[in-house]
Amino acid sequence: MSLRRLWAVAVKEINHIMRDPITLGLVILAPTVVLFVMAFAVTVNIQHVPIAVLDYDRSPTSRAFIQRMTAGDDLDLYAQVEAFEEIDALLLRGKIKAAIVVNPRFAEELLAMRSMPLLVIIDGTEPQSGAHALDHIAWRTEEFISQVLGQELEALGMPRGSLQTLDLRVRTWFNPGLKSKNDVIPGLISLVLGFPALSVALTLAREREHGTLEQLIATPVGRAELILGKMLPYIMVGLVNVILIPAIAIATFHIPFQGNYILFFLLSAIFLFAILSMGTIIGVFIHTQPAALALSFLVIFFPAFFLTGIFFPIAAMPEVMRMESLALPGTHFAIITRGIFLPGVGLEVLWPYAVMLFGLGVGFSAVAALFFHKKLA
Amino acid sequence: MMKDDAAIIETHALTRTFKEVRALDSLDLAIAPGELFGLVGPDGAGKTTTLRLLAGLLTISDGSASVAGFDLKRQSEEIKHRVGYMAQIFSLYGELSVEENLRFFAKMYDVPDGEIERRMERLLRFAGLTDFKDRRGIHLSGGMQKKLALACTLIHEPEILLLDEPTTGVDPVSRREFWGILTELHLGGTTIVVSTPYMDEADRCSRVGLMYAGRMMRCDTPRRLRAEIQGDVVIVRHEDWRKVGHAVEEISGVLQVQTYGEALHLVVDSAEKRIPQIEEALRKEGLGAAEIRHAPARMEEAFISLIREMEAAQESSQEA
Repeated sequence: MSLRRLWAVAVKEINHIMRDPITLGLVILAPTVVLFVMAFAVTVNIQHVPIAVLDYDRSPTSRAFIQRMTAGDDLDLYAQVEAFEEIDALLLRGKIKAAIVVNPRFAEELLAMRSMPLLVIIDGTEPQSGAHALDHIAWRTEEFISQVLGQELEALGMPRGSLQTLDLRVRTWFNPGLKSKNDVIPGLISLVLGFPALSVALTLAREREHGTLEQLIATPVGRAELILGKMLPYIMVGLVNVILIPAIAIATFHIPFQGNYILFFLLSAIFLFAILSMGTIIGVFIHTQPAALALSFLVIFFPAFFLTGIFFPIAAMPEVMRMESLALPGTHFAIITRGIFLPGVGLEVLWPYAVMLFGLGVGFSAVAALFFHKKLA
Repeated sequence: MMKDDAAIIETHALTRTFKEVRALDSLDLAIAPGELFGLVGPDGAGKTTTLRLLAGLLTISDGSASVAGFDLKRQSEEIKHRVGYMAQIFSLYGELSVEENLRFFAKMYDVPDGEIERRMERLLRFAGLTDFKDRRGIHLSGGMQKKLALACTLIHEPEILLLDEPTTGVDPVSRREFWGILTELHLGGTTIVVSTPYMDEADRCSRVGLMYAGRMMRCDTPRRLRAEIQGDVVIVRHEDWRKVGHAVEEISGVLQVQTYGEALHLVVDSAEKRIPQIEEALRKEGLGAAEIRHAPARMEEAFISLIREMEAAQESSQEA
């Protein structure tokens, strides 16, 4: 293998990346944009969910309850209705996402400390805001009840401490915002850092389409020189992303980075080697850019989304899919990224994943080089 | 004919099949060192397939070949060091400059660092691209792109040049310049195999192979191919050339009528027999005297008449 030829291929490819705005945008800008769009979509707090209330009790206590319910920014009182049918109509017209029905003896049952049903209706067609509304209604109800009962206990000359602990437990349950952000964003970072795989899958197909491959394979350039020479620039661009993207994410979303950055950088390089080798295999077999693009999404990005445990836990998957997820570089890199970001673990924990990544990289690139023939047909 | 052991390119029943189609059907060819060999034939005749096979870009379906002393099947990478191949379409890197393209291919061909600058300077001068060395490939004119492509295939000083229609789509001046370069290489001893749709270019080759439907139908010097033409060419010049054209079309021995400006080129079975008949026909139409002369057949006429012959032969064999 001639390193001089390998490097010449790499320099040519770097020139192409730097001079073609589309390629440059695809490798540098796209990961950042996707990270932002998805991070906001996943971690944004749903607020001002419109609800309706039907109060059969009409007591001072029930009025206080309704007021408490809509006090914050989470729920907005769209209408206080008189009949059950009105709720139905409002839900159907999409005016409200949820409704609360306060039963006739609300205050009485509450003060008697008896079990009390509270009817909550959720618009199931929009589960996100519906679930969010339900969370808040449950939380506000607990809060209200403990407060009312606490006042009651105080009036009887008893301490209210025991009720407070109940209150705290509910809060941790229904305020998951911060926790999910710290978990989801490192996962997303591991996903978007794999984007250069798309460009590397396209680069061989592009050479075929432009006819440049015909001139290139007429030279004595070796297969491995060509394959590795084409991957090298995208690894370098990918490493620029490894510097940029975590920095942007930390500054924007205020997520903690507690591990060793040098370690993260080095393991990212191994990950890029593995996922770019995967992209190269596509480029070897698929001869047109649109087809290579479609297949990259199908083979690299959809599995990266669904099977690497970023959003859906691997433990919950069927056996076959768990096996498949092990063959995806993203699975191991997601564990590495999350580990380094939040608990801040080191190589003593992460080495098996690093070894797996390297093995996948060697395996994939060997397949690419073996199946790439210096022939047109 | 030369002896086989002297050949620098030699094929034996070389065949390439694409699915059902025999793009190249048992080619037997021997090209001597220093030849300028022209490949002609209609589109789809197998010219590109032949050149790509010889350059090691296609796998061989059947038969064998040796190029520069190496076996094409087993040693195609060794061959690539000794051959310069130029594809039919522009296949250099458009986003790289003239100089960057040259340097890239120099490295692909393992040209030593100390040599690269010297050769580049010489080739740029040779191709008349010195003033354009910083221009990107896509911004070059068609003719300049072809010359750059040629320069890139020459950077490793190959013994053999395989050029696939290097002047298609190029203006006449650039075409002439390009052939000037080829002539110099030819004089320098490089073996050149060039395919071309232009018959005047075929005329400049030392030997021409005429291909048709994947087969090599004729392979000879241009002079002898021209001599093979059935019939003669008669040029008729007359003010009212349209009427003359209609009049002579009726004569049974006139095989073809082509207009060249205000002159008519007729291909006839025999000039001696038909010229008096043509004169007779003009008199009958009251067209008066015309300038009529017997001209030597050019490559173009020879080519067309040979192709017609082959088409007719193929049709009759299909009917049988």
